[in-house]
Amino acid sequence: MRVSTLRGRKRSQKGHAMLELALCAGVMMTCLAGTFQFGYTFYIYNQLVTAVGNGARYGAQRTYRAASAQDIERGNAAIRNMVVYGDAQPSNEVTPVIPGLKPEQVSVEWIGKEGSAPIAIDVSVHDFTVNAIFRSFTFEGKPLVEFPYIGRYAPGESER
Amino acid sequence: MVSTPGMAGPARGNQRGFVLIVMSSCMFLLLAVIGMAFDLGRVYITRNEAQVFVDAASLAAAQQLDGTAAGLDRARAAVKRLPNHWNLGANTFENVQVEFAADSEHWSAQPKDAAELHFVRVTAPDNHLEILFLRAVGGPETFTVPAQAVATTNPVRLTE
Repeated sequence: MRVSTLRGRKRSQKGHAMLELALCAGVMMTCLAGTFQFGYTFYIYNQLVTAVGNGARYGAQRTYRAASAQDIERGNAAIRNMVVYGDAQPSNEVTPVIPGLKPEQVSVEWIGKEGSAPIAIDVSVHDFTVNAIFRSFTFEGKPLVEFPYIGRYAPGESER
Repeated sequence: MVSTPGMAGPARGNQRGFVLIVMSSCMFLLLAVIGMAFDLGRVYITRNEAQVFVDAASLAAAQQLDGTAAGLDRARAAVKRLPNHWNLGANTFENVQVEFAADSEHWSAQPKDAAELHFVRVTAPDNHLEILFLRAVGGPETFTVPAQAVATTNPVRLTE
């Protein structure tokens, strides 16, 4: 009689241990998953700040060739490439410095009056989603970096 | 041996609470790991954002220097109008210091003679980041991430 009671207690202890393990593992896995998704998202955002800052700095120093609207757009494309690939004229095999970032997600805006030298350049990222496995985060208009324009204004020159 | 009540009683009593101790020490470590990923991640992002801001601000200010007192005012205004933010693009930079010098050694925020000033130093000292997780394991409540940059009126143009 006593033996069977002890066996019952032992079984009950095993059940307790399983329950404790399940609870602890659940809490720990949730914490680890949260740590991963925020850590990874912050890492990507930090990369974005660096890339956008480099692109804006490049655009601010670059010669602003404005013979036609196509020339301005070509210049903007070079700035977008600088943000995405770290190279204004990337080769075909080059991969983005930030996984999943495309040139069309980079916005380049010139501050100043049309037909005169720009005062500043704004570069930002739009509609970029970081897939952190457990959850995804979308950045809209962030990060935004503005640099004063210190390059050469060449309204009559065309992009090569 | 297993079924002896005299031995099983105290042994079981010692076992009780063991999971609690293990779990609490694990949670302490887990909080530290979460803090490392979450809080230090934000610190690095803030440092990056602040450095990009002071780089742009110093260039914007240096561009306005023309040897007059009005140029100094324009330099201060150029720093104020920059839209760059910190803390994942949420906070504006406060108490930004703009100092001027003729020789990049003797700095003054209110110089008497503007004629020979060619250097601008911008400091963003008050980026107090609130620490969320690391403070639970003995870390500070806030972490200050200052940034500083120096620019001159004649920057070297490295891009064409």
